[in-house]
Amino acid sequence: MTIRLQDCSFVLVAIFCAGCSAREPSPTNRITQADIAIRAAVEAKAADFAPTELQSARDKLAQARRLMAADKYTEARRLAQSAQVDAELAEAKAETTVMRRAADQILRGADKPASEAERESRKPLVSQPQ
Amino acid sequence: MRLNRSLHFIELLVAGFLIAALVTSCTAVQNPALEAARESYQKARRDPLIARNAGAALDRAEQTLQTADRIWTEEGDVAEVEHLSYIVEKRVEIARLIAERRSARDEMQQPRSSR
Repeated sequence: MTIRLQDCSFVLVAIFCAGCSAREPSPTNRITQADIAIRAAVEAKAADFAPTELQSARDKLAQARRLMAADKYTEARRLAQSAQVDAELAEAKAETTVMRRAADQILRGADKPASEAERESRKPLVSQPQ
Repeated sequence: MRLNRSLHFIELLVAGFLIAALVTSCTAVQNPALEAARESYQKARRDPLIARNAGAALDRAEQTLQTADRIWTEEGDVAEVEHLSYIVEKRVEIARLIAERRSARDEMQQPRSSR
């Protein structure tokens, strides 16, 4: 029994196609999502209130871009997803800090006795005798 | 006679190996990162503040945890499961922060008389 070259090439093409279909797609969407999440974190003042998390997100996104350019899609996808969640955490941390400070300020204001000026401002206006 | 005894010993040995293999396969191998993530998630799920204020955020953590569980059971992909466990931990942290933020907002909105 002889094996023809055509048979071999058919098998090789089939193996190649199977390999192609199993390959992970390019994580372009993930990288875009991470980028959007970082922008949202910056808007929420994460640079002031969650600098470590924001920097981690930026570093991971930069690394994800490098890996995508090197066709390492699985690692790039994981890093982009990780960058996104770090950015979301930075945003949540910043927003919570801002809200907590505002609430504390209001609560402190409520406990404080009114100042002389505040008491004066609350008095009803009485018309002066002519 | 001697040959019979040897065969009997080999049979016992094979049976022993089979039982050991069966017991090993029945005991589920655990991934430490996945178990830590599960514990964080379950702890957050029991927290009434998070349940009241950040249920949707915690649901996202649960979905990722389920994906990690499925990949661990079906594929045993350690790198992917460790990556997803990290995502679960961060999503739990985000849920906790959202709950705190909403709680602070509610405090601000309470009328002065009820404080």
